[in-house]
Amino acid sequence: MPPSKRLWIMRRNLFFALLLLAAGCVTRPPAQNLPRASNPFPPDALLIQRAILTVHGRQFTLNGYLALRKSKGERLIVTENFGVPLADVLVKPDGKIFVMRSSQLFRAEWIRRYVAADVECIFGAAPKKNCPGKMLSPSHFLIQRRGYTLDLQIVQTKPGPQPPELFDETKKDSP
Amino acid sequence: MKIISIFAAAMFALTILAADNVAPQPATNPQPILQELQRKMSSLESVYFELTQERHLKLFTEPLISKGFMLIERPDQIRWETTSPYQSILLGNQKSVAQFERTDGKWEKLKLGFPQMLQRVMEQMSLMNQGKLDALTGDYAISVATNSETILTLVPRDENARAVLSSVEVKMTPDFSATREVVMHEPNGDFTRIVFTREKRNVKFPAGTFDQTKPLDIAAVKAAVDHAP
Repeated sequence: MPPSKRLWIMRRNLFFALLLLAAGCVTRPPAQNLPRASNPFPPDALLIQRAILTVHGRQFTLNGYLALRKSKGERLIVTENFGVPLADVLVKPDGKIFVMRSSQLFRAEWIRRYVAADVECIFGAAPKKNCPGKMLSPSHFLIQRRGYTLDLQIVQTKPGPQPPELFDETKKDSP
Repeated sequence: MKIISIFAAAMFALTILAADNVAPQPATNPQPILQELQRKMSSLESVYFELTQERHLKLFTEPLISKGFMLIERPDQIRWETTSPYQSILLGNQKSVAQFERTDGKWEKLKLGFPQMLQRVMEQMSLMNQGKLDALTGDYAISVATNSETILTLVPRDENARAVLSSVEVKMTPDFSATREVVMHEPNGDFTRIVFTREKRNVKFPAGTFDQTKPLDIAAVKAAVDHAP
């Protein structure tokens, strides 16, 4: 290709890129597939989350409280709108899952298979394969599995060490 | 059903707070207090609350805090709105319920799962707001304690309900005019405290406050309430 034609193509591409920018088409970065290259969350923190769970076209809002502690794991407590606990799960760094509390809406097996997997998918220290999620922004995630979609936002981050009891699987709550 | 009971108890407790100037009564006989509350509640047309909700989980070192509003208008309209750390609106009346969630700066109306559950909560609220306590005393054992403050305690009669909610306390000053707190205790020691930072009774809410298609922005509602006599 003659140099003059290459220059013309480069200019044309630049023009289209500028046009797209002006039109606002590239103002937002595209959703990034999970797992991401590195974990963007503080190693020790409490992340407060709000999520919309869609199952068969029906939507449920959930609150999540996720405690992260380096080398100890992740502990997630899920409640409904008014604070009633629905699920509580501890995921150890070696991948072991402990269902600390279940409910009629979130049964133990469901928590083990899906809730824990989603926690690992988004917040796990080591990137997981086959994670059906997207990072829409650093605080907004979308998990799409067969059967449900979880639209999750981190609404508050409280950095700092979390109580060690949170990561002790023997301190199981009732019921 | 447990969730309904908990929410209904909390809502009942909040509604009680709208009744004022009830004379203190001996703790051994709560009936006169309840009757007076019932009388006061039946004359209430509307109530506006600004609130802070503290969720105390013993596993966490500090409470989880959210802020919001609760608005009730006779005969059956209710709006519960959370404004931080996320934004969500729940609206209900005897016919229908709706929920809106704000995501990426836009309100989205949800296709609710289990709308009948929320519907039932709203129906119960409507009854309670009209002072029909009879249904409640069937579900809860109610007691009153007084010293420097008056505490109304509701304990679910149903064992299954008690597995989730051991009691609800409504804390008031002896003259029922200043206490602004409801505490919901769970069997494992966790509890939720709702503190009322502001309350206004018998206000006229602007049109659209309870609209289930496009609810009026809470800032506009608040402005109208602020300017009400």
